[in-house]
Amino acid sequence: MRKPDGKIVLLGDMNVGKTSLLQRYMERRFPDTVSTVGGAFYLKQWRSYNISIWDTAGREQFHGLGSMYCRGAAAVILTYDVNHPQSLVELEDRFLGLTDTANTDCLFAIVGNKVDLVEDRAAEAREKEGHGPGTAGGGGGGSPQVPRQVRPEDAVALYKKILKYKMLDEKEVPAAEQMCFETSAKTGYNVDLLFEKEVPAAEQMCFETSAKTGYNVDLLFETLFDMVVPVILRQRAQGPPQTVDISSCKTPRRTRSGCCA
Amino acid sequence: MWDILKLASLRESQEPGGELCAVNICGRCGPHGRQTGMEPWLGPCYPAGWLGTQPAVSPWRAWRDAAVSLPLAGAGRASPKSGSGWREGRRSPADMMSTKAFTLVSAVEWELLAGDKERVHIECVECCGKNLYVGTGDCVVYHFLLEERALPTGTATFSATKQLHRHLGFRKPVNELRAASALNRLLVLCDNSITLVNMMSLEPVPSGARIKGAAALALNENPVNGDPFCVEVCIISVKRRTIQLFLVYEDRVQIVREVSTPEQPLAVAVDGHFLCLALTTQYIILNYNTGFSQDLFPYCSEEKRPIVKRIGRQEFLLAGPGGLGMFATVAGISQRAPVHWSENVIGAAICFPYVIALDDEFITVHSMLDQQQKQTLPFKEGHILQDFEGRVIVATSKGVYILVPLPLEKQIQDLLASHRVEEALVLAKGARRNIPKEKFQVMYRRILQQAGFIQFAQLQFLEAKELFRSGQLDVRELISLYPFLLPTSSSFTRSHPPLHEYADLNQLTQGDQEKMAKCKRFLMSYLNEVRSTEVANGYKEDIDTALLKLYAEADHDSLLDLLVTENSCLLTDSAAWLEKHNKYFALGLLYHYNNQDAAAVQLWVNIVNGDIHDSTRSDLYEYVVDFLTYSLDQELVWKYADWVLQKSEEVGVQVFTKRPLDKQQNSFNPDSVITCLKKYSKALVKYLEHLVIDRRLQKEEYHTQLALLYLDEVLRQRSGADSGAAEATEAQLKLRHLLQESDLYRVHLLIDRIRGAGLPMESAILHGKLEEHEEALRILVHELRDFPAAEDYCLWRSEGRDPPYRQRLFHTLLAMYLQPGPAAPELTVAATDLLNHHAADFDAARVLPLLPGSWSVQLLHPFLTGAVRSSVHARRTTQVALGLAKSENLIYKYDKMKLKGSSVQLSDKKVCQMCQNPFCEPVFVRYPNGGLVHTHCATSRHTNPSSPGPGART
Repeated sequence: MRKPDGKIVLLGDMNVGKTSLLQRYMERRFPDTVSTVGGAFYLKQWRSYNISIWDTAGREQFHGLGSMYCRGAAAVILTYDVNHPQSLVELEDRFLGLTDTANTDCLFAIVGNKVDLVEDRAAEAREKEGHGPGTAGGGGGGSPQVPRQVRPEDAVALYKKILKYKMLDEKEVPAAEQMCFETSAKTGYNVDLLFEKEVPAAEQMCFETSAKTGYNVDLLFETLFDMVVPVILRQRAQGPPQTVDISSCKTPRRTRSGCCA
Repeated sequence: MWDILKLASLRESQEPGGELCAVNICGRCGPHGRQTGMEPWLGPCYPAGWLGTQPAVSPWRAWRDAAVSLPLAGAGRASPKSGSGWREGRRSPADMMSTKAFTLVSAVEWELLAGDKERVHIECVECCGKNLYVGTGDCVVYHFLLEERALPTGTATFSATKQLHRHLGFRKPVNELRAASALNRLLVLCDNSITLVNMMSLEPVPSGARIKGAAALALNENPVNGDPFCVEVCIISVKRRTIQLFLVYEDRVQIVREVSTPEQPLAVAVDGHFLCLALTTQYIILNYNTGFSQDLFPYCSEEKRPIVKRIGRQEFLLAGPGGLGMFATVAGISQRAPVHWSENVIGAAICFPYVIALDDEFITVHSMLDQQQKQTLPFKEGHILQDFEGRVIVATSKGVYILVPLPLEKQIQDLLASHRVEEALVLAKGARRNIPKEKFQVMYRRILQQAGFIQFAQLQFLEAKELFRSGQLDVRELISLYPFLLPTSSSFTRSHPPLHEYADLNQLTQGDQEKMAKCKRFLMSYLNEVRSTEVANGYKEDIDTALLKLYAEADHDSLLDLLVTENSCLLTDSAAWLEKHNKYFALGLLYHYNNQDAAAVQLWVNIVNGDIHDSTRSDLYEYVVDFLTYSLDQELVWKYADWVLQKSEEVGVQVFTKRPLDKQQNSFNPDSVITCLKKYSKALVKYLEHLVIDRRLQKEEYHTQLALLYLDEVLRQRSGADSGAAEATEAQLKLRHLLQESDLYRVHLLIDRIRGAGLPMESAILHGKLEEHEEALRILVHELRDFPAAEDYCLWRSEGRDPPYRQRLFHTLLAMYLQPGPAAPELTVAATDLLNHHAADFDAARVLPLLPGSWSVQLLHPFLTGAVRSSVHARRTTQVALGLAKSENLIYKYDKMKLKGSSVQLSDKKVCQMCQNPFCEPVFVRYPNGGLVHTHCATSRHTNPSSPGPGART
């Protein structure tokens, strides 16, 4: 049992499926989950590193804890529900601020979960739950009347906004399309990739997933793991003895602004 | 242990000096050695029976270490099976009451406090070793001595004896009490003032030292000050938004720092330079040395009372929103998942590995290792919950109670008893730091083994195997579950106390045959895996025998593999089992492995004969033959030679013919083999062939005998079938081949035998062997009229001889062809063919006179061409040789002439070079160098001094 080498935090509105994503990835199943209280974490051995993945509570009540969970995070997975546009809006309004405590070179991935509901909505169409589209995080896994509410382009746009917010140069961080995922925790779609798989520096940081089906879930996680490893190495390299590399032409301030190149 | 020894030595030397800093890890107690009349370390710091049987090492110390290094991953690996405590709605009653980690026992009864008074209200409690202090609402401090009595169940009871009580002289309640045993002082917070009183007498210090204006206080248990004789105290000042830090000595106090906070602080805990503060709207970490402030998270102080509890080095436990117990480090990071309390939690305490919380109705126990709720104790009207160096005290306004932890081993055993393997393992692993290494390893191995059996009983074989492996299980424990598998001779007895509750597999599976089969398959694969590892050391016999039994019972192919490779199967046990399961072939292998080949072969022979039944091998007869072939036991081979030969002569004889030749000393005497084979002619033939052809034994007997056997066979076939068959039989070919190739057999004997048998070819060969070529050729030409055979005969017999011999043979044959007779035309053709094909083997000059004049040149064209050509060739070659000889002669002549060319003049003036006398006769000797001497001088002196060697005389 070792101290984790790096931390990944899942953020997002309630009922977008953060816990399901994580359970789909860690336990390869899609159990019924209940609203997360506080937070929980899993430890994942990835190559020779221990990566802790924190599942946070999306409920407003626990919102205050988010900052602390994000402190020192190497990567943040911002999760929304592709069937609830408001959940994407909430990411920007409510959750982006929490990531201020994360590492300056923190990676961001944007994940649209529950794509299985988009794909086979016919099967789910009869299921009706009374919640307005504007209600923050309505009933869990409910079937939307309108097929797809959030397009991947919206996620990419958010990703670019985040970069702007973080004052990061788009060229120096993974491109938006690389960091946006769509997953299905239910089917497992894309989930592993998110955490593990190495993806070339194409524009792929937005994912669409379904924790229920597992669609994209592995893709999501595995992509992220591979990106976090260099961060860990960099952190180790920058460890206690803060050696100044005089051959580097960059000023400390610029370095601090986080270059991922 | 080290600390204690060291402390003891320091006490003896009465020098509580600088060294003591090293052991002063307890900020509350300070240097324990300084107290007199008390057990300085074990007394104050030894908590209530954490591990029932661990007296020496301070568990308090251990707890601290453990808390610092608590395995983070433990939290992360929350068992998926057992549910997760941190999720709302997961607290099923079964989960809640699942572990009995603590028992609640009364320490101080109300009567003891109230005495003669009508009512008493407990405000605060302090416990330091055996000293228990209680502060009441009417400003009285009570001092009790706690006596602990361990119970055989692993828990303990407590009885408190009141020492004394003292009214402090205010009308206010006593807010807080803190003991500093190192200073022998009790810090009493009352009426916003901290008074120092003697721990024993409760008298205020004479100096009257006190801290004024304190709303709350906290001791630094991780002091930064190097002085062991002072205690660091942090207070929330009555001044707005102010924290003050003091050093408290035996009889004086000293303020060291005043820090202002952004909001009004409500609760505080200290670790090193770090203050963990509950402010009005949020929790923060404040480094009072650097002034750096780190926000943790917001909460609402109006809604609930904050809790700030130091749980270990640089880590705090805080009451968060939604009834969460949040962990936070001084760096502002949460390294453990939160525990989920009720919303109205009043107090929290730590007793590794548990977090204990108190609310209006219950005491709840959560594990820090997996965040699950482990125990709930109903407890009404409680309002104080605190831990004092591992001893957890809970109090209502009227009584004080102690939560006695069950020994860890007992808890683990309880978990195992309810088959909650993962939790038990998490708990055991979490306790690693609390228990001496050796003891832990023994305990942990045992737990792993027990857990393995639990998984095994649930047919979770993969998990079980892993647990058995990591727990280094004595494999026999597992084998012994299976009836009859352990050899009767095995000395094994199951460990005590037992690792599991099952008598045997029948009980475990309750007779379910399918489950039984699964268990057996598991054991098979498991034993097969471990038998070659060190796990098997010492029990190889038990393992291999058990494996053999399993294989035999399951009719498994690996049974044979096991027996033919190195194994340690016990003979008697295994043999009985194999017999029981009709595995006679395998039993034979077992006998063989145990050097009982005779028994093995007998068994196999019985199978082949059908006396016993075992269909393992359909080719068992061949197997036996093969076995005997390679057997070094001659006696055994002889014993079964008749049997194998009776079964099949051709195959059976292999026991003699196929024996490896490299071990000559082990090979059989051919004569005795032949004697044995007399009855089996086919086998005998095979054996002789083996001797003559394969082994090339040059012994006349064998060759003759083989030839005679062949001959018999040929004759037998002849007499049987119609003799008209033109084709030579196989036997005949063999016979001929032998007759041609071998020179050892007795030719005359064979000729006699063959005579009149109508075997002309064989006769011809035999005559040829006797160099009776005329007779042989006669047979071939006149009897058989087989002209190619006659030609081949000439070639065969002249092989390796000189050309004239061959010519003689061919001439003989030609002469035979040209003999006048009835078959002349046919022979003529043969003659011409012979001449034309073998022109070079004839002397044409001798041939031509023999030929009849009537033959055309055309007929003999190839022969004549060849003859003329070779004749011309011979002539020319001779001419060349002649010419060369002549020219050589010429060269010699020239040399001679040259030597004769120069004249020698002999006169009176010439003298003999030897005797220096003139020549008086015309005869002289001339040496090649021109020197002239008398003939008599030359004969008397053979050598001329000036010219060595005899020269040519002229």
